Amino acid sequence: MDLTLQIVLSGLAAGSVYGLLAVGYTFVYRLTGIVHFALGDLVGLGVFVALFVTAGRGAVTQDSATSWRFAVGILVALAVVVALGAWSYFGLIQQHIARGSTVGWVAATVAIAFAIQSLLNVVFTQPAYVFPDPIPFHDAGRDGIVTVAGATFQLRSLFVIGLGIALAAIATYVTRRTRFGRGLQAIAEDVDGAQMVGVPFDRYVGLAFGLVGALAVVIAVAAAPSGPFSVTTGTLYGLKGLVAALLVGFAAPGWAFVAGLALGFVESLIASGRISGHGLGPSYREILPLAFVFLLLALRGRVRTPELE
Amino acid sequence: MTAVAGQTWAAVRDAARDARRAWGPTQTAGVCVVGVAAALPWFAPDWVHIDELAGWLYLALAATGLVVTVGLAGLPSLGQGAFMGIGAFATGLLVARAGWPAEAAVPLAFVVSLVAGILAGAVVVRLAPLFLAVSTWILTWLVVLVALAFPGVSGGAQGYVVDSFLGTTGHYELALVLTALAVAAVSALRRSSIGIRLRATRDRAAAAATLGVRRDRLLLGAFAASAAVAGLAGSLAVQLQGVTDPNAFGPSVSFKLLVAVLVGGASYACGGIVGVAVLGVIALVARLWALLQAGSSTGVQPMLAAVLLLVVIGLGEVGVIPLLARLRRRVIPAALEASPAHGRPRGGDGGAALAARGLLKRYGGVEALAGLDLAVAPGEVLGLVGANGSGKTTALRALAGAVALDAGEILIDGRRFDATSPVQAAEAGVVRTLQRTSTFGSLTALENAIVGASLHSQAGGALRVLAATPKSRAEAREIRAQAFDALRVVRLDEAADDPAERLDGFRQRLLMLAAAFAARPRLLLLDEPSAGATVADLGHLGETIREIRARGVSLVVVEHNLPFVRGLADRVVVMADGSAALLD
Repeated sequence: MDLTLQIVLSGLAAGSVYGLLAVGYTFVYRLTGIVHFALGDLVGLGVFVALFVTAGRGAVTQDSATSWRFAVGILVALAVVVALGAWSYFGLIQQHIARGSTVGWVAATVAIAFAIQSLLNVVFTQPAYVFPDPIPFHDAGRDGIVTVAGATFQLRSLFVIGLGIALAAIATYVTRRTRFGRGLQAIAEDVDGAQMVGVPFDRYVGLAFGLVGALAVVIAVAAAPSGPFSVTTGTLYGLKGLVAALLVGFAAPGWAFVAGLALGFVESLIASGRISGHGLGPSYREILPLAFVFLLLALRGRVRTPELE
Repeated sequence: MTAVAGQTWAAVRDAARDARRAWGPTQTAGVCVVGVAAALPWFAPDWVHIDELAGWLYLALAATGLVVTVGLAGLPSLGQGAFMGIGAFATGLLVARAGWPAEAAVPLAFVVSLVAGILAGAVVVRLAPLFLAVSTWILTWLVVLVALAFPGVSGGAQGYVVDSFLGTTGHYELALVLTALAVAAVSALRRSSIGIRLRATRDRAAAAATLGVRRDRLLLGAFAASAAVAGLAGSLAVQLQGVTDPNAFGPSVSFKLLVAVLVGGASYACGGIVGVAVLGVIALVARLWALLQAGSSTGVQPMLAAVLLLVVIGLGEVGVIPLLARLRRRVIPAALEASPAHGRPRGGDGGAALAARGLLKRYGGVEALAGLDLAVAPGEVLGLVGANGSGKTTALRALAGAVALDAGEILIDGRRFDATSPVQAAEAGVVRTLQRTSTFGSLTALENAIVGASLHSQAGGALRVLAATPKSRAEAREIRAQAFDALRVVRLDEAADDPAERLDGFRQRLLMLAAAFAARPRLLLLDEPSAGATVADLGHLGETIREIRARGVSLVVVEHNLPFVRGLADRVVVMADGSAALLD
């Protein structure tokens, strides 16, 4: 496999996962006006709850993909993460949003992230785990890679990209077209006004946080089989997804997904790209995009909302 | 020579008197705690590890720095671990690679993190709180990822071996002294006019701007100072550890510091150290638990810390100190001797003369101001009335520099007045009160007035306050007296020590007026001062405004209450469709 192809393949594989998380961040931001710092960790929680139900603290192999325990595991993960998502709103975040205290909800979401991380650290002590692929892509083509009309694709990335586009479309539809989504946007813009015209504030936002949990589990099931999954993998995916969402300024779920793909591709290019024998190398892979987003925030500058007098 | 010595002696006596006056049970308790803690290495039993205590104290030092950013400035920073890391890695590079002596690396690491704090702060303090949290989070990750990716920076997996110029006990004592100094410094800053202005802009940025608070500069100072303290803590902590570890100053440290500050009580000087103490107790519990289970405590400790924060946040961001304070609320008297009549405007010429000609402001196709002419004689009260939407508030905003005019000119005492922001207007002697009731809720009434009174402060900079120079102390006294005088003018001096949020609506509006008057304006612009006033209140308000006028201030008063403004104003201008329709 030649280098260019490898760059494109690995870039797309990673980028599609970042894109999914970027869609998640954008969805939460558009609906509630907050950045959910624990999104990546919710994905990690989904992965490990499913693994735990499947095989306890032991190792799981691809063979478990067809076992009923794995299916139950995914359902349990869904229930746990959705419940945690909804509870995190009612138990922690609600009062801080109501008071307009950014410090409060930032600390709340970060605390959720670290609580999940430290819990997983206590329970799962091996360096990395295999998450079985519910869809057997590896059986198709040459180890999951197929060539169609001269172009080569990794089936799994294609699937994740398709899923990303579908999720972005659903997220856009939910925010723009449904009563639920429009109600939430009204809330995000003006809490008092929305309550006055009869938007059931708490039920809607609580539901949104539950939905975010469901989204995290969908992302977990789609993304985790791509490679070995460690306790911190979810956190790192979360960081990359946040970077991608920031690149397009939380603009629209679709663009956030594209930004995720681009981020994956750029990372891969930085790590392995060569221009006449010279390249940056893997050391810069993660640093440069982060630094770029920081500068982007700096240049945009004026994100402070004008205060009512 | 003797004259100089005499002056010095007088200054020292003066300083001692001020210190004695400020001394209270809290200070005595603080000194006792520090004294006992300092003696600890000589009588502590074996199971107390002084080196670990020193590590916790360095964490407390960084947390005390973070109190300034999170508590006083209200910025949700997730970047304190990054600056600790910058200080630590700078020290590692200087000592292990450049061969510097360890004690020389500490001040340089301090400077490096200060510069990093200024650069990062210049970017982040302009952002909305949400994006400030995100960008400082990214900064934290950036530092740890750089350290991991470049072994040259962090010494790689092995780490650099960093020599220390102190032994374990030395580190412990140094950490104790530095933390105590930091708490004292934050406490002094918090109560100084600069700290009061910082908390004011945290509570209500727009209202603070009308009183001349330069928000961005204050926030940048707070952020950079926090960063420098964190860098100092990181530099010393890495010497205590003896080796650089790229993972030691990552997001988990940023998180731990935020936890400490919120658990302790964000807006209290002691919040950081109390929070770190709580985390220390948690670590102890985790270790005991691990002993009973015969396992490792490394995983349990952060989990307990995270769960604790979840509980604290679930309770509504109430820290240990605010809880204790709620149990036993102590009223601190203002301790002000009756001061001579202050509040004469500078120049004392009986107020400014205003002439505004042809003021024009368009919003899209609508002319909010359509060539408005206004004139105010020195010491005059001009009433401005008109229907909703006739442009009264826009006129006031234009006069106070809050609106960029499309055409027209404003003359104050015959000189062109072109303030482009409320801050500039306030500094030039034109202060406006806002239409919405907007006091600084968590500040006391006196502190609200101090926000205004410190507008022309010359010696109120943070360094002067910390050094407690004679000039800054004299000025602080004068500012307090001026603020107290302003409270007396609106007859709120009885409520000087009450938090503003506990006052009723009308008294909060009086307090806004007092804060504006305390800024010694020459022209005061009042936007509906009578909103929410009862008939009895109106009489009180009218007398207050007349008293302010008698102190040499010209006023423009926007009002809906016609009888009230007729009784009060020398002239009344009726506005319609953005211009003066009728002179009364």
